[in-house]
Amino acid sequence: MSTHTASTRDILTSPIFANNPVAMQVLGVCSALAVSNSMKTALVMTLAVTFVLVFSNLIISSIRRLIPNSVRIIAQMTVIASLVIIVDMVLQDVAYELSRQLSVFVGLIITNCIIMGRAEAFAMKNPPHLAVVDALGNAMGYGVILLGVAFVRELLGSGNLFGYEVLQTVENGGWYLANEMFKLPPSAFFLIGLMIWSINVIQRKRG
Amino acid sequence: MAFKKDTIVGTMIFTVTLCLLCSFMITGTAELLKERKLVKKRDELQRYVLMAADVDMSGDKDFREIFKTSVVPMLVELDTGVVSTEGNVMDFDDRMAAINPETSIKPKKDTARIKSRANQVRVFKILDDKGELASLVVPVYGKGLWSMLYGFVAVKSDMNTIGNLVIYEHGETPGIGDFLNDPEWTDKFRDKQIFDEKGKVAIKVVKGGAKEGDIHGIDAVSGATMTGRGVQRSIQFWFGNEGYQTFLNKLKASEV
Repeated sequence: MSTHTASTRDILTSPIFANNPVAMQVLGVCSALAVSNSMKTALVMTLAVTFVLVFSNLIISSIRRLIPNSVRIIAQMTVIASLVIIVDMVLQDVAYELSRQLSVFVGLIITNCIIMGRAEAFAMKNPPHLAVVDALGNAMGYGVILLGVAFVRELLGSGNLFGYEVLQTVENGGWYLANEMFKLPPSAFFLIGLMIWSINVIQRKRG
Repeated sequence: MAFKKDTIVGTMIFTVTLCLLCSFMITGTAELLKERKLVKKRDELQRYVLMAADVDMSGDKDFREIFKTSVVPMLVELDTGVVSTEGNVMDFDDRMAAINPETSIKPKKDTARIKSRANQVRVFKILDDKGELASLVVPVYGKGLWSMLYGFVAVKSDMNTIGNLVIYEHGETPGIGDFLNDPEWTDKFRDKQIFDEKGKVAIKVVKGGAKEGDIHGIDAVSGATMTGRGVQRSIQFWFGNEGYQTFLNKLKASEV
């Protein structure tokens, strides 16, 4: 029984750093570049992805024995797309302004490879409770990268965090000269690159 | 009989069931959010109307309260100018009315390129503190370069001077044609006259800038000719004889 719990824990924690979907498998980078210019959008995006990932894994894993092999990808897509539509509708209802800022990227969760990847690689082969744990782990891995990048970008790009002023910019009469580059998507490339590098270095040290 | 998933029949049954379940999931959510969406739509409408009418919304008073006390929504039969305030005017679906062939006509001179025009349009009377007509807020829309531009025009009580213009929905090129909801541009419409002495619609977006003292001209924005023209033609169409002219004349005759 002890090996079982250890593996459950492994499933949860390994995607956060050691096998991070964005940093190690370089999946879902498109949205990570696009919505990571402020903490707020990054957080909402993380929550949206978490919801879709958890429920798609749960649903697909619980019907995995019924899915015909020849249509399994389409079946997965149908479940994922339905969930994304639901997220989009709810988001438009509760946070209209934010959903406008996220624009197409909520809809594009459908094509986020993390979700497809987890459905095909994990949920199809494992029981529902493990699939949910795996989904949570991967969503956290995605969230860590997204929020990490957004933290740096928003702080250095506009001196704010969650829209609250942290570093008073020159424009507002402070001392901090905002670095406009961090507002633009390319900066996320550099940041994700640095993250991949540091995670690799740490991994290697551990052996 | 066990379910054989990999046969053709099994695959069929599975896909149909899955699709049905997924669609129930989506329609269920949509149904749950429907009521809230309606309320939101109404709120948004109220806010845009008050914005067009230059009603101060910064105070403590809820904009819904302000709307209730100082705005009278009503439906106007465009061809006859007949007004009705009966029924649920706020939930009148103007977009649907404009495309439904039973409730719309094809305009003879479709300058705004709207293809079909609803017979009934919802307009808003804005009352001042004494309960007298302060201005009239009417919807206008027409095609810009890429998209329909939807807006409200507020006309002051002389039924000629523009109070404000609010364009609340458009899909023009970002960075080029999206000055439409920038007050810096829409403020130029303030106090301009829609009609000339002969009663023809004279409002115009002038390339190269309107001359000083031009009571009908608004500066065009360079690089966005079609967008500016879209606004101009929308106003021209909607205040023309296939738009509000009959209604405005009627209103003027009864008020003066």
